[in-house]
Amino acid sequence: MNTSSLKFSIMTTSVALAAVLAGVWLAEIDREHDSRALLLPDPVITLFPDPKPLTAFALTDHKNRAFDLASLKGKWSFLFFGFTHCPDVCPTTLAVLARARHNIARNTVGAEDIQFVFVSVDPNRDTASKLGQYVDYFDTTFLGVTGDKAQIANLTGQLGAAYQVRTAPGMENYPVDHTVAVFLLDPRARHHAVFTPPHDAEVISKRFKVVRELAAGNAT
Amino acid sequence: MRFRHLVVFCLIVALTLVPAASEAAGVSVHDAWIRETPPGMTVMAGYMELRNNTSRRQLLVAANSSGFESVMIHRTIIKDGMAHMVHASQIELRPNMSLTFAPGGNHLMLMKPKRMLRAGDPVVINLEFRGGLVLPVAFEVRK
Repeated sequence: MNTSSLKFSIMTTSVALAAVLAGVWLAEIDREHDSRALLLPDPVITLFPDPKPLTAFALTDHKNRAFDLASLKGKWSFLFFGFTHCPDVCPTTLAVLARARHNIARNTVGAEDIQFVFVSVDPNRDTASKLGQYVDYFDTTFLGVTGDKAQIANLTGQLGAAYQVRTAPGMENYPVDHTVAVFLLDPRARHHAVFTPPHDAEVISKRFKVVRELAAGNAT
Repeated sequence: MRFRHLVVFCLIVALTLVPAASEAAGVSVHDAWIRETPPGMTVMAGYMELRNNTSRRQLLVAANSSGFESVMIHRTIIKDGMAHMVHASQIELRPNMSLTFAPGGNHLMLMKPKRMLRAGDPVVINLEFRGGLVLPVAFEVRK
């Protein structure tokens, strides 16, 4: 084994170890709060032991306001990438997120410090007014944001999300392939965790409760 | 107005002729529903539970509805964390087996509804099988 591959394997081992520790920690906190114990490894959420801070990006929301790094500060943000002409995955996920938000809002801590953001990767068809109409239907607090290709690529690149517009000449109903995960950014605008599908409202709200308590514990 | 009443009456009669659980030649359909979409959206998805009660395989080859400009059989495939939508030219129902069209998997892609569809509205979609069998199924729009 040469030095670089040894380095690599030490690195991957420590990342894996840190992830497992984070998982154990999460399970411990959860038990403390007398909620259902988490199974390990957790198939729903991946917590990053060392959340990566996002760097500057510039998008626009459905009310034509800037949506940038400052918009993320002070709030937990759930981000989902999709497009409004999406018949299956996007409405299914947004309906789940609307229920998750409802669950979180009923919690004693409430939903004042959370926001749900639908990022359209199809700016060609998804204008601000269309996006507004779309997200409003699921939850009036949801934000619909988009930007030009480079602006979208900046954010998807930072989060490791991907998409591909499968447009063809004269094709009106072209599909768009996109990442199905829901990204959780913390109030310091760091990529804190990721929820993997199939998404479930109850599971997301329960996991989030633990994540938020854990972060509050870390801050004090 | 009288003509409009007649149209509504005929529509109600037509819809009552399609039973909630459709069955023909050994294929039955249950829990057929369409997800309500935000206003102004032109693409919807239909889901259902199909059951082949025969000892022969059945092939769903197409679907159509007077309620939409076009209906296609689609499947969402999740690969490397990304959702891809693929057109399925046919769906095989194995003998005495059930097959589910559910969110995140098989679905009927319903393009350009002829009128705005809201939760509770009924829509008939005809499922076409290899061999000429056509099964009209009453779908319910749900939120």
